[in-house]
Amino acid sequence: MLKDILKTINLKTSSEDRKKFDQVFSKLYSIYGESEDPWGLDLHKTKNSIEYVWPLYKKYFKVRVFGKENVEDRPYMITSNHTGQIAIDGMLISTAFAMEIGPPRILRAMVERFFTGLPFIGTWAAQGGAVLGDRQNCEKLLERNQSVLVFPEGVKGISKSTKDFYKVQNFTRGFFRIALSSGVPILPIAVIGAEEFFPYVYQAKSIAKKFGLPALPISANYIPLPSPIDIYIGEAYMPPSHLNSDSTDKDIDLHIFEIESIIQKMTNDGLKKRRNFWANAK
Amino acid sequence: MMDLKREGTFGQMLNKSRKILIVGAAGGLARILTSILSKANPEDQIIGVDSRPQVEEFKRENVQFLKIRYTRGNFEKLFRDNEFHAVYHLARMSHAYSNKSNLAQRLDLNIMGTNRILELALKFDVKKMIILSTYHVYGALSDNPTFIAEDAPLKASIKHPELRDVTEMDQLATNWMWKNQHRIETVVLRPCSIIGPQIRNSMSQYLTTKYVPLGVDFNPMFQFIHEFDMANILARSLKEVPTGIYNVAPDEVVSIKKAKEIIGLPTFKIPLITLSPMTLAVKKIWNFPDYLIEYIKFSCVIDNAELKKHLKDDFLRFSTKEALELLKLKL
Repeated sequence: MLKDILKTINLKTSSEDRKKFDQVFSKLYSIYGESEDPWGLDLHKTKNSIEYVWPLYKKYFKVRVFGKENVEDRPYMITSNHTGQIAIDGMLISTAFAMEIGPPRILRAMVERFFTGLPFIGTWAAQGGAVLGDRQNCEKLLERNQSVLVFPEGVKGISKSTKDFYKVQNFTRGFFRIALSSGVPILPIAVIGAEEFFPYVYQAKSIAKKFGLPALPISANYIPLPSPIDIYIGEAYMPPSHLNSDSTDKDIDLHIFEIESIIQKMTNDGLKKRRNFWANAK
Repeated sequence: MMDLKREGTFGQMLNKSRKILIVGAAGGLARILTSILSKANPEDQIIGVDSRPQVEEFKRENVQFLKIRYTRGNFEKLFRDNEFHAVYHLARMSHAYSNKSNLAQRLDLNIMGTNRILELALKFDVKKMIILSTYHVYGALSDNPTFIAEDAPLKASIKHPELRDVTEMDQLATNWMWKNQHRIETVVLRPCSIIGPQIRNSMSQYLTTKYVPLGVDFNPMFQFIHEFDMANILARSLKEVPTGIYNVAPDEVVSIKKAKEIIGLPTFKIPLITLSPMTLAVKKIWNFPDYLIEYIKFSCVIDNAELKKHLKDDFLRFSTKEALELLKLKL
C-alpha cells in the first residue's frame, strides 16, 4: 500500500537509487555484519526502511548536506540541534550519514526513554540503529567504534513553541562527559528547515504532564510540511585533554557553551542561506 | 554430548574424594550437572536431594538421590552426617507459573528455604556454595540499557510484584555471600534464558509451543544458553570461579523473532499492546505468566564480562543458533 501511495505522489525509487542502496549496504554489511546487533540493529530492515525514506529525503524534504569534508573515517559523538516537534531530524541526519557521506555508517541515535517503550515505532527505530539514550549504551557503542547521534537539548529542543524556533536550548552535560571518558571528538551539526514542518505550534505542557507525555504540540497540521532541509556539519571539536569525565560542572560548562554557540552560529548562518520554503514546488 | 577435553581438565582439578550436595536434584539442569560432576571425578560422592521424585535413576555408584523436603529436620541431619565440601542450590521454585495465589508458597520455599540452606552451609563448614539465580531479577523494562552488569538494581518486581521472591532470594543470597565471604566461598550465577531438551522453564516452553503470541509491535533481544553449557559452567564454578555475582550469557544476542524463526514453529502474530487485556482469555488455553509478556516486549541483555575474567572465552560449546536448533529435539 505504501508503495502505491509513494507512486501516486511521485516518490518512486529509481533503479539508479536501488543500485546505490546495494552499493552502500554491501559496505555496511561488511562493517556491521548481517545479523542483528545486541541493541537490535538489523541492517536488512534498515535497508528496507531507507528505501522508503530515501525518496522523502531527496524529493519531499530535498535535503542538502554541507561540510561532508569534515567527516573522517572514525567514530564521533555527533551533536545536533533538535527541531521539528517530531524527531524527523534524527532520521534525516542518519540517512545522510548512511547514504551521502563516505564511508557510510549507521548512526546510533540516542532516544528518549519514552520512545523505547512505544509499540511499532520503538522497534522500527531500534532496527534502524536507534538506542535508548543511556550513558552505558553510549559508552559501549563508542567502544565498538560506532558513531552516536545525540541531541543534548533533549525534549526541550523539539518541544518549542513557534516564538522559540531556531533558538538552541541549553545542553545537558551527559554527552560531553561521555565524550571525555571515551576520547571521541564531537561533531557539531545544525539542521535548518525542520521547524517549518509544523509552522504553528503551541505546547500544551500541562496536558502533556497529566498524561505522562514528554511534550504535546498543538499544531495546525500533523503531517510535516515539505520544508526544504539543510544539514550543516561543522568541524570536529576535540574534548580538552586536561579534563576528564569527573571534572566539575564549572569546568565543562565552558566547553558545552562553546559547542552550543558553534551550533547556534551554524544555525544562524544556515538560516541566511536557506532556500525558499516553496523550493519544493519547483 | 560430553566435552572430553574439558572434562579431563575438570577431573584433574578434583583430585581427592569430597562430598557434594545438589539441592533441587530432580530438575533437568541438576541432572546434567550431576552427570558431569560424577563422571569428571568418580572419587567424589554426589548427593542429590529434591522434594520431587527423580525422573530416572542414576546408574553411577558415586551418585545418591534422596527425596526429602529441605525445610524438614532430616535435611539438617544430612548436613550433620556428611561433611559437604560444596553445595549447589538449584532448588528455586520456578516462577514460570507465577500468580498471586502461589506467591506465598514460593516466598516461603524460595526465601525461607534458601535461608535454611545458607544457615546449614555455614553451620557445617561447607567450603563452597553455588547458587543459581536468574537474569529475570533485572526485569524487562523499556529503559534497560544493553549489557546490564551485575551491580545494576534488581527491578523485576517493579511491574510484577509476583516476582518478588525472585529478587528477594537473589538479594538474600548475595547479602549473605558478602557478609560471610571470609568463611565460605559463594558464587551466585544469574544466567540468561537456559534452553534445552531437558529444561522446562517458561522460555523453553514459549519457544517450543506452536501458536504462541509473538509481537508485531516489539522485538526484544535475547541471549540463550544451552543447558549443557550452563551445567558445565556450574561444574567449573566449583574450582574456577571465586566469590561473587556473575551474569552467565553468551556474547551472541538474537531477537525473539529470529529465535522463533530458527525453531520454525508457527506463531500467532499480534500487537503485544493488546495482549495484557487478553491475558485472562489466553490463560484458559495456555498458561501464560503475566511477567513473560514484558520479557517478549522489552530486552534484558546482560553483560558477561565478569564471568569471562575467570572462564575466558572458551566457556561455551554451543552457539545460540545451535542451542535453538537443539531445542527442536524437544518437539
